[in-house]
Amino acid sequence: MKLLTKMMHLQEQHGAVTDSMLREMSKEEGVPLYRLEGLRGFYPVFRATPGRKMQVQVCRDIVCMMKGGPQFCSKVKSALSNAADVEVEEVSCVGRCDTAPAATINEVPVSGSVEAITAYATGGKPLPSNAPTTTPRRWSTDPYANEKEHYSVIKKFLKPGDDRQRDEVINILKEADLRGLGGAAFPTGMKWDLTRKAVGRPKYVVCNADESEPGTFKDRVILEELPHLLIEAMVLAGWMIGATEGIIYIRHEYAKEKKALQQAIEKARRFGALGKKILGSDTDFDLQIFVSPGGYIMGEETALLEALEDKRGEPRNKPPFPVDYGLWGKPTLMNNVETFAAIPIILERGAAWWGAQGKGNYKGLKYMCVSGDVAKPGVYCVPWGTTVHELLTLCGGVPDGKALYAFSPGGASTNFLPASKLDTALDFKAMQEAGSSLGTGAMVFMAAGRDVLELAISEVKFFRNESCGKCVPCRVGSHKAVDLVETALAGKPQPDLVALLQDLNSTLAQTSICGLGQVAMVPLMSVINYFPDDALPRLQGSAGRRK
Amino acid sequence: MATTARKLIKLTIDGKPAQVPEGTSIWDAARNIGIDIPVLCHSPRMRPVGVCRMCVVDIGLRVMAASCVRLCEEGMNVDASSAKVEKHRKMLTSLLLSDYPENSARESSTGNDQLLALARKFAIEHISLPDGAAGHARGSDMSSPVIAVDHQACILCDKCIRGCDELQHNNVITRTGKGYAARIAFDLNNPMGESTCVACGECMAVCPTGALTNKPVTSMRAAVGKQRNQKRGEA
Repeated sequence: MKLLTKMMHLQEQHGAVTDSMLREMSKEEGVPLYRLEGLRGFYPVFRATPGRKMQVQVCRDIVCMMKGGPQFCSKVKSALSNAADVEVEEVSCVGRCDTAPAATINEVPVSGSVEAITAYATGGKPLPSNAPTTTPRRWSTDPYANEKEHYSVIKKFLKPGDDRQRDEVINILKEADLRGLGGAAFPTGMKWDLTRKAVGRPKYVVCNADESEPGTFKDRVILEELPHLLIEAMVLAGWMIGATEGIIYIRHEYAKEKKALQQAIEKARRFGALGKKILGSDTDFDLQIFVSPGGYIMGEETALLEALEDKRGEPRNKPPFPVDYGLWGKPTLMNNVETFAAIPIILERGAAWWGAQGKGNYKGLKYMCVSGDVAKPGVYCVPWGTTVHELLTLCGGVPDGKALYAFSPGGASTNFLPASKLDTALDFKAMQEAGSSLGTGAMVFMAAGRDVLELAISEVKFFRNESCGKCVPCRVGSHKAVDLVETALAGKPQPDLVALLQDLNSTLAQTSICGLGQVAMVPLMSVINYFPDDALPRLQGSAGRRK
Repeated sequence: MATTARKLIKLTIDGKPAQVPEGTSIWDAARNIGIDIPVLCHSPRMRPVGVCRMCVVDIGLRVMAASCVRLCEEGMNVDASSAKVEKHRKMLTSLLLSDYPENSARESSTGNDQLLALARKFAIEHISLPDGAAGHARGSDMSSPVIAVDHQACILCDKCIRGCDELQHNNVITRTGKGYAARIAFDLNNPMGESTCVACGECMAVCPTGALTNKPVTSMRAAVGKQRNQKRGEA
């Protein structure tokens, strides 16, 4: 954390981390030059020479592409080509798909037309405020009617010297069947139990607040509007496993959300919910925020740990897993923002209450990120088991009276499904049975007329762009996959292309180190499988790109 | 030396029984019983990193495991050589070959280019993947008097990095960049000849491809001559 924090600070102060700065840092810190170059070259936030005063970063991923058109980035670029102090760069999803097309200007999120973004960048229009909301909405996973009640669950469970309280918490989490809501669906109660029983010392609690998959922005809302739930759950996690230190790893694009979280942490300290002898118990625990120097791959938990250890954020070979061998090789309990934030209400009201919130046999509540061709995009907290159709209706349906053609239920790594699957329930297993997965809960709706092949390719490009490059299948394979389909869309497909893509996909899925490489071609393969009429004439014939 | 006896693990590799101390990798266990699992990024002298994925084996899980980093477990049934496993190795080899330059300096001098050996093993004659070596886009670095760097022939196996930083403790080589643009670099991405490299030769000794090789001695003599002349000039 030390080196990267220092480098982030230099970047912020000087607009670059130059060679001379790194030479000085190398002497000060006693770290060889090669390590610093490895970091500077890996993380997108760092640059070796200063850029221009206004940095405009335009999102190039699926939802912004749908809303702004495939040429959106180049249009912004050409509109600003003569602006003296402005530099425009295409970047991966900035987590604002609900206001697509989105961009950031000097880290301040903006949205709108090419003209609007140009006006912000050239000073024709003042940049919007980047302060957190002062009127958070009331969400159904918040057990507290007002601020005075905050942290009651800590008071309820943190009683000195009684391990039965810990057993009870584990049992409630298991009974509630809470699973990792970052997309992996690992049973939370089991993870807490494993880290509790792990032998190494010290232990750490880490929150993964680095959601960066196109279409995913639910944690952003939780961080801004419900930070007290995240803090409370992390205190409980520390108490559970015997950790005194917690770290929240947040993406740098979430500056506003970081401010909200920082304010909530300070408030919790004043309240006694963080620090020594928390709320009269014998538990000590405190939190710090670490701002990511960028890159989707850090959402992979072991890459995130490598980043916290001041290394290139490349995923580790597993096993061992973080519950035994996490930060600095010590047992580490890591959960996603939404997973942590669900815990206070489950402990406050019990597993039975949580179960009853779901529809039918499904248990609990789920935050869905809804974007694409939908009237009211945004974050919705819905019962597990709600159907995709009900969600679409809740969000105002497809605009302009168009029919729905397809949807991507869980982020860039999940199969596109045809509209005929609209009755599928929002649930890990149900979505799997329907031929996709719920992933992060990033629901992108696609109306009739959308080019699902181009949109699926944009997802593969996202993975190619965000590959860390550590292992061969992902580094080289994702690049070749994009090359192959681009050549086909240019009207020159090579013979047996679909069979070749299938073989390549199989090798990526079977031999890549982490989830990124394993799923890099998934959306493309789903369009080949479920939408053959959209894919095959252009991948096997010479129909090429749609005009 | 600690003398605590380690627990013995029994497993099966390609139908053959094996027995190894706890903590042994599948790759090592296979080697003990005469099964050579192909690998580009590993050697018994080094800390395994599992990046080339050539040594993947099927242990009956959702995905394959890199045998150089995966430890043996009691009762494990390892498929190290079936057609299913070899198919992935062949694809990985093709991926690397599609970016590989026409001429490998290792193959043309000492004839032991390990990637080309795998190409022969898998009888790869035609690669249907897009050519990434055209124009030698990744470039080369001839700035060191003794070591030639051909970035186009680098497969990012990280052996030079471990050789330099972990075996020799010379601390010069890193990966820089990310994804498909990742490459090896010296110090702050300086030309090798202008870096703190002491030309120990470990990197080219461990390099499996034509990326890091010996420069012909004549060029070194020329460089030494040039330095002498410069010194005379200064005096």
